[in-house]
Amino acid sequence: MTVDLFWHYAPSLLSGFGVTVLCWGVGGALGLILGFAIALLRRLRIGPLNWLLRAFIELFRGTPFLVQLFLLYAGGPSIGLRLSATAAGILGLALYASAYFAEIFRGGFAAVPSGQIEAAISVGMRPFDIMMRVMLPGALIAVVPAIVNMLIILSKETVVLSIITVPELMYQVQTMAAETFTAFDAIFAMAVFYWLLVELVSRVGAKVESRVTAFLAHDGAAA
Amino acid sequence: MIELAKVKKSFGAHPVLRGVDLAVGRSEVVCLIGPSGSGKSTLLRCVNFLEPYDSGDLRIDGRLIGYEDGPEGTRRRMAARSLREMRREIGMVFQHFNLWPHMTALGNVAEPLRRVRGLTARDAAGRATAMLSRVGLAAKADAYPSRLSGGQQQRVAIARALAMQPRLMLFDEPTSALDPELVGEVLEVMKSLAAEGMTMLVVTHEMGFAAHVADRIAFIDEGRIIDDGPPRRVFHESPEPRVRQFLQTYHDRNSF
Amino acid sequence: MKPEIIFRSFGYLTQAAATTVAVSFAGIVFGFMIGALVCAARVSRRPWRVRLGAVYVSVFRGVPLLVQLLFIYYFLAEYGLDVSAIVAAVGALALSSAAYQAEILRGALNAVPRGQGEAATALGFSGLDIWRRVLLPQALRISTPPLISEFILLIKASSLVSVVGIAELTRVSMNIATQTYRPLEAYVGGGLFYLAINLCLAGLGAFAERRLDEAGAR
Repeated sequence: MTVDLFWHYAPSLLSGFGVTVLCWGVGGALGLILGFAIALLRRLRIGPLNWLLRAFIELFRGTPFLVQLFLLYAGGPSIGLRLSATAAGILGLALYASAYFAEIFRGGFAAVPSGQIEAAISVGMRPFDIMMRVMLPGALIAVVPAIVNMLIILSKETVVLSIITVPELMYQVQTMAAETFTAFDAIFAMAVFYWLLVELVSRVGAKVESRVTAFLAHDGAAA
Repeated sequence: MIELAKVKKSFGAHPVLRGVDLAVGRSEVVCLIGPSGSGKSTLLRCVNFLEPYDSGDLRIDGRLIGYEDGPEGTRRRMAARSLREMRREIGMVFQHFNLWPHMTALGNVAEPLRRVRGLTARDAAGRATAMLSRVGLAAKADAYPSRLSGGQQQRVAIARALAMQPRLMLFDEPTSALDPELVGEVLEVMKSLAAEGMTMLVVTHEMGFAAHVADRIAFIDEGRIIDDGPPRRVFHESPEPRVRQFLQTYHDRNSF
Repeated sequence: MKPEIIFRSFGYLTQAAATTVAVSFAGIVFGFMIGALVCAARVSRRPWRVRLGAVYVSVFRGVPLLVQLLFIYYFLAEYGLDVSAIVAAVGALALSSAAYQAEILRGALNAVPRGQGEAATALGFSGLDIWRRVLLPQALRISTPPLISEFILLIKASSLVSVVGIAELTRVSMNIATQTYRPLEAYVGGGLFYLAINLCLAGLGAFAERRLDEAGAR
């Protein structure tokens, strides 16, 4: 693996990284929004809707991500869903993540001490206000670590997207490896790259976590 | 002001209130005392329908709370909006304060004013500041609950309930979770409220407070009120053996 | 949507499911052995062992499983070890799972109340005996529910070994899809089998937690 070779492939590797970040960012954001919406809807306790949402969550948490991707990309056309690989990848990540985020938010809501809710009820607050002004801020503290953790997991799952030919980093590396017969070196470099990336993101994530948690808890620890 | 007639409540198969009759008049202070598990807190929580009661009549100023009686003895659940309206007029103070940790003291008091009474931010802040002064905590307006002592937190909680200008106030063991030296400051605030003519229903273990501030003591045991009268009579001349037995330990340790 | 496709492929899918369970089981068992070693390193008194253990956990949790799998596969190919894909598959699953299991075991050891070991020391137990008779049994009991969760995760992770050609559920679903030109039914079928496996495991996990709660409360 010479330096020239590397420079030759640098653009495609960079583009691959860009696609990885795009998929992770958009998929993660959509997953967060969707997961939050699901958690909110479940609180309405409408029987059939609740059942449907629970089924959704069990489905996406009980089956492998790869199978979900194949279903969307290869199986989609059978039900009129013709997606490009990248679109399928992003949608797949979003749906997969949303199931986990829904459970995370559910746990967060449950973690808010009931007394705070009772105080809001006894003063005559509307359910909407109780949710927005008491429950959500209270739940946020509990969910921040879990959300950061899930986002890290999601970043690792992006490599699976290469299997359905999404041109993200892993895919580009494998293409390069195939063309230059440097499979071993390339994969090794990939492993090192991801290891460093995840370490870095984990550390940054931990810092962000403690900052946000201290801010939300108003403990003055960060002050 | 508050009328309970034959109020019953069970948690599943377990009956907690077995037919409670109680009345609290305007500007009256009634203290509810009794052993653990007697149903005191449940009773209090039924008054603002935080806990739904199963049968009987619970009326606030003549109006049934939690239910609407229809023709021929039918009864249905009251509409959520009506219930919220009624709750606005009832202030409640909890054993564990239940302040919202992500808001300052001022924020806690102003929040219901903004969301429920619909005041503007400025008006709410003004009224909240006045309330905090009323309970002696004007200086702590910008402090978060985590920085306040238990007694201070409870006083903020009282201010929060008071700011809504309720017609009556419910206290659920307001000093039970406090260190002994902090109990006094909360009782002082409650005394001043009583002196101003607030209608109060207080579940408490503080016999001294009950003896000196209450207009009436109601003793509840196993889901029924078994004695109800002026403090002097209930504490010293109760005809009920269960009441005398319960109070014996207090008589031994204090004299009031 | 033609469910008959799923019914006709039932035999293949069942076989594939067995392969999935077998591969995952091998992964978790070997993962346990390696994980126990890594855990021992993490709690040992020699700082170099502790650091090594920490690096292992960091690497095998930080690198995505697919990358680990392909790396081992190409590693074996490069160095001429002409071993089958199954070794690469089980190896990758085991090495990866070991990192997570090491953390589970470490957490379980920490969860055993200190007093138990202290009581044993006061009674004159030898160090080894304290491990074997007091700490280990309790740690294993505490770690059983999270280990069952790990098994469920491994079942799902095993879908990646399809890329090295192992005939497990995902690979077989792919085959069915290409042979019948009905990818939707093929992957729904595969998904259902995964769900079934995981439902059983979840039930096992709940059962284990109940039994262990009783045992712990004694």
